[in-house]
Amino acid sequence: MTEPINIRILEPGTRIALIDGATAEIVSNPSDGVWVFARYLSSPDDPARIGSEEMIFAQDIVEIRPGD
Amino acid sequence: MSRDEDLTRLLLKQEIDEFLYHEADLLDDRRYEEWLALVADDVRYWMPMRRNVKFGEEEHEFTRAGQDINWFDEGKETLTRRVKQILTGIHWAEEPVSRISHMVSNIRLVEVNPSVEAPAEVTVKCRFLIYRNRVETETDFLVGKREDLLRRVDGQWNIARRKIVLDQNVLLTKNLTFFF
Amino acid sequence: MTAANQGYRPGLVDMAAGQISREIFVNEEIYEEELERLFARVWLFVGHESQIPKQGDYFVSGMGEESVILCRDRAGKVHVFLNSCRHRGMKVCRYDEGNTPVFTCPYHGWSYGTDGKLVGVPYFREAYHEKLDKAQWGLVEVPQLCLYKGTVWASWDPSAPPFLEYLGDFVRYLDLTLDGWDGSEGGTEILGGIQKWRIPCNWKFPAENFCGDSYHNISHRSVDLVGIGPSGSGRRDMQERQMARRLHVALYERGHQTGVYVLPKDLPTPPSYQHSSVVAEYFAHCEEERRRRRGEWARLIGSPGEIFPNTALHPRQPRTIAAWHPRGPHQTEVWRWYLVDAAAPAEVKDFLRDYYIRYSGPGGMTEQDDMENWNYAHAASRGTIARRYPYSYEQGLGFETENYEFQGLRLPGTVMDITETKSSEHNLRNLYRRWAEFMDAGSWGELATWRIARAAE
Repeated sequence: MTEPINIRILEPGTRIALIDGATAEIVSNPSDGVWVFARYLSSPDDPARIGSEEMIFAQDIVEIRPGD
Repeated sequence: MSRDEDLTRLLLKQEIDEFLYHEADLLDDRRYEEWLALVADDVRYWMPMRRNVKFGEEEHEFTRAGQDINWFDEGKETLTRRVKQILTGIHWAEEPVSRISHMVSNIRLVEVNPSVEAPAEVTVKCRFLIYRNRVETETDFLVGKREDLLRRVDGQWNIARRKIVLDQNVLLTKNLTFFF
Repeated sequence: MTAANQGYRPGLVDMAAGQISREIFVNEEIYEEELERLFARVWLFVGHESQIPKQGDYFVSGMGEESVILCRDRAGKVHVFLNSCRHRGMKVCRYDEGNTPVFTCPYHGWSYGTDGKLVGVPYFREAYHEKLDKAQWGLVEVPQLCLYKGTVWASWDPSAPPFLEYLGDFVRYLDLTLDGWDGSEGGTEILGGIQKWRIPCNWKFPAENFCGDSYHNISHRSVDLVGIGPSGSGRRDMQERQMARRLHVALYERGHQTGVYVLPKDLPTPPSYQHSSVVAEYFAHCEEERRRRRGEWARLIGSPGEIFPNTALHPRQPRTIAAWHPRGPHQTEVWRWYLVDAAAPAEVKDFLRDYYIRYSGPGGMTEQDDMENWNYAHAASRGTIARRYPYSYEQGLGFETENYEFQGLRLPGTVMDITETKSSEHNLRNLYRRWAEFMDAGSWGELATWRIARAAE
């Protein structure tokens, strides 16, 4: 069971790991603690999503990946 | 601080407490002209309005003095007119007069200039609870914070600046015919 | 038989006799009907465009009892939405104003764009199996919106006439509040800080007061005595009023009304705002420009008025728009906006701001006495015995003038010239005449009588 993350404060550019194994990079953050807008960087389940931007729900974010 | 300095500061605090309680007495007793005599000629009397703002946007919570609409943002001339209006005896919002009690607490000396030994200006923070009862059952509780600049002139303290921070957004009393 | 069953005309609102039942102010059933028959059908004032200048800006306002969001979307378009999540009702915005890309509900996480579209639904794929038709579940948007010289108006009724038609000839009087003092079109802005406060009375008490209650001047004697006015005496500049024809103007078919002053031809406007030479000069300059631009119509000076049913205008001293929001039959929540010319110098705006807040609002030395009267007039009307006795609204009944003209200036509306007669209740009657029509009418088909007349021609 992963610790919950306060996504309200995540900056654009932050890399996040999602519950389905995908990773994404935050494009913008409405700072509501519920959603971020992120672009898929990798997506084992559905590679067609790579590069697309979607709203990601807080409960689907499991980890912050350290930056390069 | 040395013990002597502590004592001097304590005595000053006591003096300021007494001043603020005396001021509250004057207002509760409706001795408005005596109260005006405690108010500096160059006073700024300011009560901002408060907005509900998002976490992190606190700088936008308060309306700004001298720029926005506020509940009060005035000097001695207007305060004097308010007193005069009550004293006409036909200011219906204060006729019959309200029963009012000003409670002042959490009084702290924030800054003393130039020194505790020879104080000329003191910044004071406190909390207020104003209980007002009007006519039969009309009752208001107004609670908040005050930040005052008190100035000593000829051995007498004056109110040079007052910032009143009421803990309300929509004002829940129909009028502000009294002084904070 | 309940009060509501007596029928609004003539029962509760008797225009022939000039009497109105107290029930319409205190009766719970009538109040509930008002929410449906009045507030759900009329045009209401929501705010000012200068409050939402950039994409994503929002200001939470009200229409009737309900919270609405005034916002500007990413394409720059203005919207007014009901502030309630379509899923389970939670307010999607509980901040007063700000900027946001989306409105997210904290309850289950539904999220809406600033154009109202439902864009974020948690577990849309998993829990909803993608079956939820998001296009059907956007924020409820007003079917009609109008932007007029910066002001934003909205109506919940798609069958209501468009706003300018709703105003009819009253637009000329609304312009007195919204145009620059120099007669230029629009050009007003809102001062920061919207006053919001509660008064324990029915919303119709303040509404009728602002229609043109010229009779209650005596109640403001105390503020006149202390002299908060912009020339240092009284509460307003009186010279310009004293030399003018003083009129009450009512548009019968629309329900709007206002006081207005008409200055005599060929006489200079007397000086005003004498308490500050910079301000006096500004307004004197504006007067010159106004006459140049507007010709004879520059002789019109505004006075309190009301756009039906609950938008109060104060065009001149002070200059403000108020909305009287109903909060049950016994409570009103006032929202007050203050206006200045956007192009006025800072010193003029400062002067006006100081004047406005010592005049109006709960800290305003004039408005305080109004509210005391409204509070206790309402309270004294709730009793069983009190309700049996109607209010008197007959002042000046029968002395109205159509096609009123003064020195070549012909004013639209039905006019009562009170220069010599001192006062009338002509405008108050108009408010309630229209109110009763709304309470009785089945639809806008019956209410837009001017369309019926046009069709018959």
